[in-house]
Parts: sequence; C-alpha cells; structure tokens
Amino acid sequence: MKMKKKFMMLAAVLLIALSACNNDDKADVGGSEEALNNLNTEGMPIVEDTIELEVFAGKAATTADDWNDVLLLNEYEEMTNMDITWNMVPADGLEERRNLALASGDLPDVFYSANLPVSDVQKYGSQGTFIPLNDLIEEYAPNIKKVLDENPDIRKGITFPDGNIYSIPTVYSPDFSSLLIGAKGWINGDWLEQLEMDNPETTEEFYEYLKAVKETDLNGNGKNDEIPLSSVAEMSRIIHWISGAFGVQNRGQLHTLIDSDPDSEDIRFYPIADQYKEMLEYLNKLYEEGLIEQNIYSLEVDQHLASAADDLYGAVQFYNPMELYGKEVGEQYIPGNALEGPDGTKMYTGITSPVLSLGNFLITSENENPEAALRWIDYFWSEEGQKMFFMGIEGETYEETEEGPKLTEEITDNPDGLTLTQALAKYIINPGGNHPVIVTDEYFTGSENAPADVEAAEQLEPYLIDEIWPAFTYTAEENDRIAVLETDLQKYVEEMQAGFITGENDFSEWDAYVETIQEMGYDEYMEIQQAAYERYQEN
Amino acid sequence: MKGVKNDVSVPAQSKFYQVKKNFARNWQIYVFLLPAVAYFIILHYIPMYGVQIAFKNFFANLGIWGSPWIGFDHFERFFNSYYFWRLLKNTLVLSAYQLILFPLPIILALSLHEVRNRMFKKWAQTLTYAPHFISVVVVVGMIVIFLDPTTGLVNRLIVVFGGSPIDFLTSPGWFRHIFTWSGVWQTLGWGSIIYLAALSGVNPELHEAAKVDGASRLQRIFHINIPSILPTIVVLFILNIGSFMTVGFEKVLLMQNNLNAKTSDVIQTFVYQTGLLEGQYSFAAAIGLFDSAINIALLVVFNYTARKVSGNSLW
Amino acid sequence: MKRFTLSDRGFDWINTIFLLIILVLIVYPLIFVLSASISDPQAVSSGRMWLWPVDITFKGYERVFANDAIWLGYKNTIIYTFVGTAIHLFVLLPCAYALSRKELMAKKFILWFILFTMLFNGGLIPTYLVVQSLGMLDTMWAIIIPNVVGAWSILVARAFFQQSIPDQLVEASKIDGASDFYIFIRVVLPLSLPIIAVMALFHAVNLWNQYFNALIYLSDRDKYPLQLILREILVVNQMQLNDPGGSAESLVDQVKTAGLIKYAVIIVSSLPLLLVYPFVQRFFVQGVLIGSIKE
Repeated sequence: MKMKKKFMMLAAVLLIALSACNNDDKADVGGSEEALNNLNTEGMPIVEDTIELEVFAGKAATTADDWNDVLLLNEYEEMTNMDITWNMVPADGLEERRNLALASGDLPDVFYSANLPVSDVQKYGSQGTFIPLNDLIEEYAPNIKKVLDENPDIRKGITFPDGNIYSIPTVYSPDFSSLLIGAKGWINGDWLEQLEMDNPETTEEFYEYLKAVKETDLNGNGKNDEIPLSSVAEMSRIIHWISGAFGVQNRGQLHTLIDSDPDSEDIRFYPIADQYKEMLEYLNKLYEEGLIEQNIYSLEVDQHLASAADDLYGAVQFYNPMELYGKEVGEQYIPGNALEGPDGTKMYTGITSPVLSLGNFLITSENENPEAALRWIDYFWSEEGQKMFFMGIEGETYEETEEGPKLTEEITDNPDGLTLTQALAKYIINPGGNHPVIVTDEYFTGSENAPADVEAAEQLEPYLIDEIWPAFTYTAEENDRIAVLETDLQKYVEEMQAGFITGENDFSEWDAYVETIQEMGYDEYMEIQQAAYERYQEN
Repeated sequence: MKGVKNDVSVPAQSKFYQVKKNFARNWQIYVFLLPAVAYFIILHYIPMYGVQIAFKNFFANLGIWGSPWIGFDHFERFFNSYYFWRLLKNTLVLSAYQLILFPLPIILALSLHEVRNRMFKKWAQTLTYAPHFISVVVVVGMIVIFLDPTTGLVNRLIVVFGGSPIDFLTSPGWFRHIFTWSGVWQTLGWGSIIYLAALSGVNPELHEAAKVDGASRLQRIFHINIPSILPTIVVLFILNIGSFMTVGFEKVLLMQNNLNAKTSDVIQTFVYQTGLLEGQYSFAAAIGLFDSAINIALLVVFNYTARKVSGNSLW
Repeated sequence: MKRFTLSDRGFDWINTIFLLIILVLIVYPLIFVLSASISDPQAVSSGRMWLWPVDITFKGYERVFANDAIWLGYKNTIIYTFVGTAIHLFVLLPCAYALSRKELMAKKFILWFILFTMLFNGGLIPTYLVVQSLGMLDTMWAIIIPNVVGAWSILVARAFFQQSIPDQLVEASKIDGASDFYIFIRVVLPLSLPIIAVMALFHAVNLWNQYFNALIYLSDRDKYPLQLILREILVVNQMQLNDPGGSAESLVDQVKTAGLIKYAVIIVSSLPLLLVYPFVQRFFVQGVLIGSIKE
C-alpha cells in the first residue's frame, strides 16, 4: 500500500518537474477587455471594482518589515481600489530570490524596488517576461511621460536597443546635485584651524594637509593616533573625490571602466590611461606614507564609526558626518573642495546619472491589469503624489507650513527616542531602497538634504561634469558577450588598482598590466561599448 | 557475500528464486529503506536532470528542457577565462591545506583519551566542542576584530614584541592561514568526537598485554591505539576527499576583498557570484559539473591508493 | 618498573600541558564574546576590551529581549529543529538499520546510490523547481525536507547497528516469530539510544545554524528562523553601502543596532545548544562509529 502510494507520488513529482517549465505562452501586451472596462483612465480610483496584485518587493533594512501594514500604502489602496499583496524580500538574499523567481517562472505581477541590473531587464524583457511600456506610458502615465519629455537624457537611458522601455526607473532630479553626488568629501575644519591651513584646493595642498595631520597630535590625546584620510567600502569613494583632479572617470561614477578621452572626445578605457596611472601613483604615495587608513580594504563600517567617534579622522569621504558620527564630532567637519590636479585639471566626477537604476518597477507577463499597475506608480510622479510618497499623510506625518510641508515633531524628535528613519517606517516606505519614482530636493527627507550637504554640493557645483552617462543598454548578443568580458575586466582592474595603491604591485608592472587587459578581450569590449555609446547618442 | 547468507543451506537454486524467497521473507526490511530512498530519488536524483543546462543556453521562459543545446561552450568559456588557472590553483591549495590538517582532531582525540582525570576530560571535551555552535558570520566578525592592524590583539602583541603590525586581512599571503586555522579552531573538538568513540572501542586486553611487555604510553599509542582506529581514519579521510573541492564558500565570501583575491578567489565563490547573483545559470552549472568531476576522480584515486597501501578503504 | 611509572607521569604532564594550551586557544575567543556582550560596543570595536568586560552595560541583552522578530525567529527555529530532527530520525534509522542487515540484497548498490548524492547534484534551479512542485515553497517543509538526511549520517548509523546489535539477538527474535518491524521497534531501538541521541544532536545543530534554505524558500517573515533574522541584523549589505539615496541614517541605525546587540545575540542564540549537549555528550563515545561500504 505504502509502496504504491510512494510510487504514485514519485511519478506525479516527475511529471510536474518535467512540465513545470513549459509556460511559454506569450501574453499580449496590455490587459483584457474586461480589465480595461474596469479601468478609469484618469483620476481616482484607478479601478472601479477592486483588483488584486501580487508584488515582489525588495525591502531596504530601514523600512517596515511588512509593507502591508504601512499607512501610506493602505491609504493609497483605499484611493485606488487596488489591493496589493507585498511579498517582502530583504536586501540580504534579494539577488538570489529575484533570480530564482525569474528562472523558475514563478512570477509576481510586478517587481518593485528589486534592483534588476540592466542586463537582466534586457534579457527577460526580450524573452517576454516583462512587457514593453512605451505605449502604456504614452496613454496612461501622464506624469512619467512629462518627466521623460522634459528630460530626453532620461528617456535615452531607459530605452533598449529594440526601442522598448521595460521599466520605470529610479530617477534623481537633475537639479538635485547633492543627491546625485551622494557621499561627499569632508575635511576636519577644527584641525585645519589648529594647523593654520586653508581648506585644500589642489592635490598637493591636500597631501600637505594629510601629512600635517599625520605628524600632529590634533585630537590632543597624547598619542600619535590620527588617521589622515578614511572612507568605507574600499577605495571607491576616495577615488570619487580625487579622480576629477586627474580627469578620469569623467562621465560619472556609473561607468567604472570607460569615460571620454579629453583630447579626441572618443570613448576611452580609462584604467589604462596615463592620467589614471598618475592618480594611482598619487594615491600610492598617500597610502605608503600612512596618510590613508591602512586597513581601508577590510575596514568595517562599525570600526570606521568607532574611530570617528574617538576623533581620529582628518578627512573622510562618506555621508553627512553630523548624522554618522554624532553632533559633537560631526560638527568639526566642513565640506571638502573639488581638487585641482598637477596639470591644472579641476573637476568633480563622483556623480551619478539621474537614471540611477532602471530595474525597479517591471510589469510581468502574468499581470492582467498592466494599465492599472502603471497608473498606480504614475501617481507618485505627480506633484501631490511625490509629497505623499516622501512626506506621508498630512496631519499624521507632516504639516503644511508657510515654507512648505514639514515633518511633524513626532517624527523629527520622536518621544520614544526613534531616529527619523525609524519613526517614518510605519508610515511610509522611504528613506532607504531604490523606489521607481523621481526624487526631488523638495520632499526628500534623507541626509543629502541636510544643510551641510547642500552647502557641500554648492561648493562642488561649478566643477561638476556636464555630461553624465547613464548605464548603457545592449542588444541580446552584446549582453552575452559583455557579461563575460566585463566580469573579468572589472575584477582585474579593481584588484590591480588595490595592488598599485597599496604597493603590493610595483608600477614597473604597469606595462604588463596594460598588456593583460588587452589580452582579456579589450578590443571586443570597446567595440561593444562604442556601439552602445553611439546608440545612446542617437536615441 | 551477495547478501543472501541465510539461504546458504539451500542447494543451488535459480537466482530469481533466491531473490523472490529473500523478498518474501524479509520484505519488511525493504520497507525500512523506502523513506530514505524516496527522499534521495525525489530531492537528489530528479533534480539531476538539471545538469543538462551546463550544455544549454538556459532561457527562463523556455525552461530547462526547452532551452537550446550549445554543447561545450560554457566549459570552453571557463577554461579560457583569465581566471581559470587562478581559481583552480586557489581551490586546490586551500583544500589541500585543510586536508594536511586532517590529523589534528586525531591528535586531540588521542590526547584526550589519555587523560585520567575524568572531570578534566569532560570539561576539556565540552569546551573544545563549543566553537562548533558559533555561526560563520560571527566567526568572521571576530577574526576582523582580533586581526585589526591597529586595535587588534594580535597586532598589539606583535608591536609589544618589537615587530611592526601586519594587515592580515588584506594580505594574499595570510589569507589561507587565517581561513584554515580559524576553521580548525571551529571544528577541532567536534571533529575529534568520532575518533574518541573509535578509541573507546579498543580492546583493553591489548593494552594489558603491551604493559606486561614493557611498552611505554607513547609506544602503546603508536602500536595499539592508532592501528585500532586506522579504519575509521581512512574512511573519514576518503569521505573528506569526496568533498575536497568544497571549501566553505560563505566564509570565503565574507573574508574576501580586492587585495586578497589573488589567493581567496575559489571556484565555489565564482559559481555563487556568476550563478546565483548574476543569474548565469548555465555557466555556473558547467563549472559546478567540472567541480564534481574532479571530486569523483579524486575519490576514486584515493580509495584505490588507500586500499593498496593500508588495506582499508571506503569500498 | 619504576622507570616506567616515571615516564608515565612525564607523559601525563606533557599531555595535560598540551591540552591546556589548546583549551586556552579555544576558550579565549569564547570569553571574548561573552565579555563583549556586556561591554560598551565602542570599547570592543576600538580594541580597548580584550578579555574582561569594559564599561559594563546590559543594553545589548535588553535590546535582544525587546526584539519581537528575534523571539519569533527563536520560536520558529525551535519548531523547525524539533520537527526536522524527528523526521530525520524517522528516515535515517530504519534505512541505516536495513543497510546493516545481512539479509538485504543489493546492499552495495543502495549504498552507492546514497553515496553518489554526496558527490553530484543537479544544482539549485531544478531543486527549487522540485520543492516548488511539491508545494513546499514558503512552508516549514522547505527548510526541513531538502536536507533531511545525508550519506554521512547513514554510514555512521549503519556502522553502529553493525557493531552494537548482535546478530544472534535478531536471529533469536526471528525464531520466536517476531517480524522485522517488531524487532526494530522493540529490540533494536531500545539498544540504540546512543546513536539516536548523537544523530539527533548532529542534525539539530545543522538545522539550528542553517539559513540558506530559509533564504531561498521562505517569503513570509513570520516564518523566518533565527539565523535569518540574525543575518539581517549583522550583515551590512554591500548594496546598501553603495546606495546613495538617504542611506546615511539607515546605515548608522543598522550599524549601531548591530554593534550593540551582536555579541548578546550570539550568546542568546548559541545558548540552547551549548546547554543541551553536555547531556548528550556521554552518548558520543558509544554512538559515533563509521564504517566502510564493504560488508
């Protein structure tokens, strides 16, 4: 009996396993007639009879554990008649879960804030997993359409070579430079005064300052424990600060291997450029003389914060020091300048394209109400929608004042001792995570809008690069090749960069390094990037 | 030896008859196997059909069966990759290093076995097992704290004794040592359990006889204890070989940075990154298959060698 | 004769010292964790605390005990561990016993059939699809079933049955007319307490510490085991570090919480196992043997 049952079960499983992966029936773009009849093309509610949507949602650590209980989304559900089931996927494990959902064909209606890389959007878009949104945007998403029309660069950045737009991106308003820059360079102003130095303007002055910090007991604890320059997540942030002085990475920080050749205006693989080598030599000098925190390649955030709290840092490249290190220590820091390099180059390149990431709102072929889903997100691109998304509900989380909406005291100075982010968590799903909305300085509540950050951004403003490339989009064939090439190249460049800076690799190895890159498929890689770049310009 | 011993009394009969008779008499024993066999079939053998994606270009919408065949492209890509030799070397060296330290739990077990004070023995055992219960994330966190170049205990000791601090965590030269020895710390006690058990089975008469012959404690360990547990050692050794290419990839990932990647980049982390994080399943499957093939080859070779040399083997 | 006792004593001394050194090396980090759990986190990460607690505070424990997610995770982990271990034994013991019986035909084939799964697997996606088609996604079965038993455990348990259950005993019961079911339950199992205890502990430890299956198969937060909650708290995600929008606060929040409760959480989460295993320890010596596939 038992055996027979087992056998039956086994056979059943076999059958299911074999058939599980054959759902390749292509859904038509757009919903059924029934769905369209239920839809209001303007105003609220979005649909007449309540519809249900299942959403795969990437959750940033700071937002509420279950978005089904968040006030904003519940209010919005009432407004729209759209009952959304949020399947929360924490940042830890997001890639794994997302890839499995896509590979197993177990699709939700929408992927929200799930950070799909451009290559996956292309891959699954062309396979029909995600539906193209171009026509739907024209017809049902006036607010998104308006932003795209006003900013052709953004439209370029999200259009694939097949002409399709598959996703609603996370967009930073092009005017909001503080956010586009993100983490910034900060100098310990008190120590500058003690040393009777001016805020460094050139790489040379910067070096002098760091050296002075190293040699002087500026925190007055009787120990020579000052660390001139620190950051978190290896060297990338420090390089964002410095690279402009050497004219590399001059099309923004989203492109880690290519930028524009200043002489020919052609696309350039900058990690083999002479200027890049000069930058590494400069950083190598800083590192070898102990001016950069020596364990920067293994430094954990908590160690960095502990050292900052002990008042050890002369300069940092990170987020707002007041927020990070507390008022007492953080107050000492003043915004760092864009630095002028040895050959007189002065620009600031550590800035992202307004199209920060595009894979944050994708409608799948399973979705029976794509128009409604698109309208759902479009509202948050409107003026009042933005306010609601970032500030919450009037009377609950913010009040209208003469200077515009202000968060209530319960949020900014929480009686239970919660931080602003924690206090907001049960009301809205921000800050934290990449949401498929446009972020403007008007309503943004994160630290990039803090006075010190705005001041820092203004200081950098004149030197910011004009042309910032978004991530390029590729055809399917290009995608396959670039995945192979870029993985290896990126890895090699990063490792050698670390090697050169720390002295693990001597600069006599430079020629061999350049040669190796050539052997790793440099020509093919550049060919693909060139094609992608040309398409980007023509779009 | 063919498993039908209790039928020996019956004169030669047809094989089929023997099988039938065995079944009729012992069917309940076969029922005992069912849950395990069902489990292995459903959750291990059925999924093996997925191996084919190593030879295919996997498209999610076409499924595993429907994706197009492309032959050995993924293998070629891996073998031609700039990192292939480095990955292979790092994996082999790291595994070999761990294998060299294979005798440590045996030494601990032999040593614990000799302790006469029962309280001490019990405490010693209890304490040596404890690290096994600590999760990898935490162990790596502790490594970072202990080895910090300025604040870490190890470097402060080095400075006290007149040396200059070493940045262990970013040094390719140190990675293998740190990885392996922190692993020893975690598994030493736990790994000795099985040898202790084997030692307790050693016949006491052997020791009495050796004592009469005037053998010292050390001599008795070498001539009685070690030979008695040799079969256990060999079987465990071969099982270890069977998972030779399996280094704890999660710990590697947590300890990896751009500076130590020269030695810390191993096949499994590569598979994890390309397969699970970047979604290149076919490529990852091909590498995984390559990994398994090496494992199986090693297992067969070592089992053969062990049988020839010591007369003990897994099969 | 006298020379021997002397050298014996010398041996004892050296052996004891050797063990003491090992014990210090093993125990020191454990004391460190314990001290760190009641010290000021800043003192720990700046290296001021190195053995005994500095600036004693119980905030970490307070935060741990105030955290609902941790309690829920705790509860889930306990359930998964108990149910999973029970199923593990149910699958393992009969199978290992059967494999230890002489009457069983094709034993070698079955052993190979099992051993092969240790060497070779189909990979994640097909396994995921099978788990999905069995309807186990987002249930506790997805945590328990995919790794319910391993080849290693079967070899160990089988060796135990081979060595500890005398053939005559089984034969005698058979002559008395007992069925194999009866013999297994009434005769064999009562004699097998050591192997049951040891296998249960081994598997329970694995279940307690595993997180990967939960990460892949569970979506409902209310079902998360403790380890997943711990990872969320402890592992600062790389993506988050590089995410520019409004992450300063989130970063500090998370790092501060993590720093404060990291060590308390280690203690709280490891304690149940640390407390249980001294009771099981006495079975270890009798329980864990491993034999070859040869008969």
